Amino acid sequence: MRKISRLGHEARLGWTLVAPALSVIALIAIFPLGWTVWESLHLHELRMPWLGQPFVGFANYVEIAKDPRFWAALAHTAFFTVVSISLELLIGLFLALAMNRAFRGRGFVRAAVLVPWAIPTVVAALLWRFMFESQGGIANALLVDVHILKQPIVWFIETSTAWVPVILADVWKTTPFVALLLLAGLQNIDLSLYEAAAVDGANAWWQLRHITLPLLKPAILVTLIFRTLDGFRVFDLIYVLTGGGPGTSTEPVALYTFNALLQNLRFGYGSALSVVIFAITFGLALIYVKGLGVRLGGDET
Amino acid sequence: MRVVHAALLSGVVVLGACARTRKSNETVLTFSGSALGAEGTLVAKQLQRFMQLHPGIRVELQRTPDDANQRHQLYVQWLNARVGNPDILQLDVVWTPEFAAAGWVLPLTRFKPASGEFFPATITANTWAGQLYALPWFADVGLLYRRTDFVPNEPRSLGELVADAKQAMARPGGPRFGIVWQGARYEGLITGFVEYLGAFGGRILDDSGRVVVNQPQAVRALQFMRDELYSSHIAPLDVLTWHEEEARFAFQNGTAVFMRNWPYPVAAMSDKSQSSVAGKFAVSPIPASGEAGGHSTAALGGAQLAINAYSESPDAAYRLIEYLTAPEQMLERGQAVGQYPTRPALYSDSRLRAALAIPLDDARRAIESATPRPVTPIYTELSEILQIELHRALVRQAEPQEALNSAAKKIDALIERTGMRRLMGAEQKAASPTGSSMAGHTE
Repeated sequence: MRKISRLGHEARLGWTLVAPALSVIALIAIFPLGWTVWESLHLHELRMPWLGQPFVGFANYVEIAKDPRFWAALAHTAFFTVVSISLELLIGLFLALAMNRAFRGRGFVRAAVLVPWAIPTVVAALLWRFMFESQGGIANALLVDVHILKQPIVWFIETSTAWVPVILADVWKTTPFVALLLLAGLQNIDLSLYEAAAVDGANAWWQLRHITLPLLKPAILVTLIFRTLDGFRVFDLIYVLTGGGPGTSTEPVALYTFNALLQNLRFGYGSALSVVIFAITFGLALIYVKGLGVRLGGDET
Repeated sequence: MRVVHAALLSGVVVLGACARTRKSNETVLTFSGSALGAEGTLVAKQLQRFMQLHPGIRVELQRTPDDANQRHQLYVQWLNARVGNPDILQLDVVWTPEFAAAGWVLPLTRFKPASGEFFPATITANTWAGQLYALPWFADVGLLYRRTDFVPNEPRSLGELVADAKQAMARPGGPRFGIVWQGARYEGLITGFVEYLGAFGGRILDDSGRVVVNQPQAVRALQFMRDELYSSHIAPLDVLTWHEEEARFAFQNGTAVFMRNWPYPVAAMSDKSQSSVAGKFAVSPIPASGEAGGHSTAALGGAQLAINAYSESPDAAYRLIEYLTAPEQMLERGQAVGQYPTRPALYSDSRLRAALAIPLDDARRAIESATPRPVTPIYTELSEILQIELHRALVRQAEPQEALNSAAKKIDALIERTGMRRLMGAEQKAASPTGSSMAGHTE
């Protein structure tokens, strides 16, 4: 009995101590979210006051479900996320393995590799647009010079070619971040494992497959979760590079939501979209954490 | 002690500032506009003169963004919060019906404005439910620029335009591009489309507000734009990513025979130090298709002045609008920043001739052929739908008929969703006293 009441007392003290932090979280995270959900159940068009602000239940969500542009945007987002993250992981792993070696100027290389990551996304996107924009742009000149292209093309008027600068820019910008996360993971692997493997006659490929990759799994999963969530919320890069075009064929969900919410000022519908994006990213995070066993900040054995 | 003193003092200053409105009989108006460059100087000068004429009114300039989208967003937020400042709103030509239907701007009827003195199209664009809600401040109009060294005479039809462009491109040393326009997926694409649409005799909405953008004339107009890109090859595919400035660069550097643009580039392109076409270009109205029912059409742009419905001093606000849209001020605006007056009478004034850098007759003809984009409160969303579908057709993701059918379907759904049918019904009743003149109107 005594023990339980002491626990109760401690629990009370604990709750009291975290109360300020919890109330801050409630104020800055839960309250706006709740408000958005509430707003999403209303018809609220800032531009059309004559419609009033009636409660419409799930009508906004039904409209989303029926809107082909939303489903297309979701598909574009998924496509962008999968392709760019695969490339980033592959190249990032290669870079991390290289940087993990001891060589002269390693510190400098590690710092230098981060430069693209340090450039604001909008600036980076403008640079890439500039390179791809006109028929006389650097991308066209280069590709014609090495005979990959017969003649210059207009990159942003065809869906397949419009994705190229978008994905390249994202890979260019984010791979260093991925490489650094993986490098941190690599540094945690005990070198004696490799020595033992070498004594047993294992070659480099075998070592990579059976030592490096399994032990790097936690770092890879953490990277994946970060990058997937980022990828799903991609906005600025595409806003600047293609604006979602041609037509709406590279439009991600975040851009579509921005459009509904801030261009058309459809607060109800836009809020419903925000809630849907939130639910999707939250679901993805859950899948990673529960399904794949990513431990954020937990110790690995 | 000194700190307390200073705090008290600043408090008094703040209080003083708040009380200014009520002090004596002075009325304070706020005017929304740009404080930058020549435009800022001009506005400041005109406001100053207005205050000298009306000692009881003080006008303060409230800086608002020059970017139309940003200004629009700001206005909508303020007006939703029922803020009475700025008293005078500067509206883009396509916003007036939206603001009027929302009850955010006051009808000007009771001030009896002399609307007959302005170009009719600029008045139509500012009329909603039979009432005028804003006065046109200056007009922007789509023009056809051409290189006079390759094409001495203006083309009389779109067919002639294509032929002229091809001929000039084929000449040794001729420009690389036949025609350049604004084809990126944004509002500029609509203005260009509206011009071709008129040239073929089509419309987006008819007089009773029905969607007619998928009818044969519209399909032919869109097909013509596509043919410029893929069939006659007079327009480079690049235009599908271009805005006004990219088109201007191309024309100014001498790489294009024709260009569709607003009047603003005239000054820069006439400057020998930065333009390789100075003295070698002219403007004219965009020609008609030559098909029956088609007419030469220019998209209408420009700024309007309206009274904030929550303004505390609407009468003083109207006096300022009247002053700024008076002939003298418009003339001065034309001279200072090259913007076109909205009063036809001024186009026979020799003082304007020097200011506009193009023959006044050409300018007037272009404005007389101007058509407002659909005058409807839901214009912005209608435009977004159309931008996407037009772009899809132009990049060949869809056939013109298919894209326009899809646009028509979505615009219909938009009209339904926003209760526009009821609203437009009300407008027709208000517009025609009998309320039944439209009843028998079927096609």
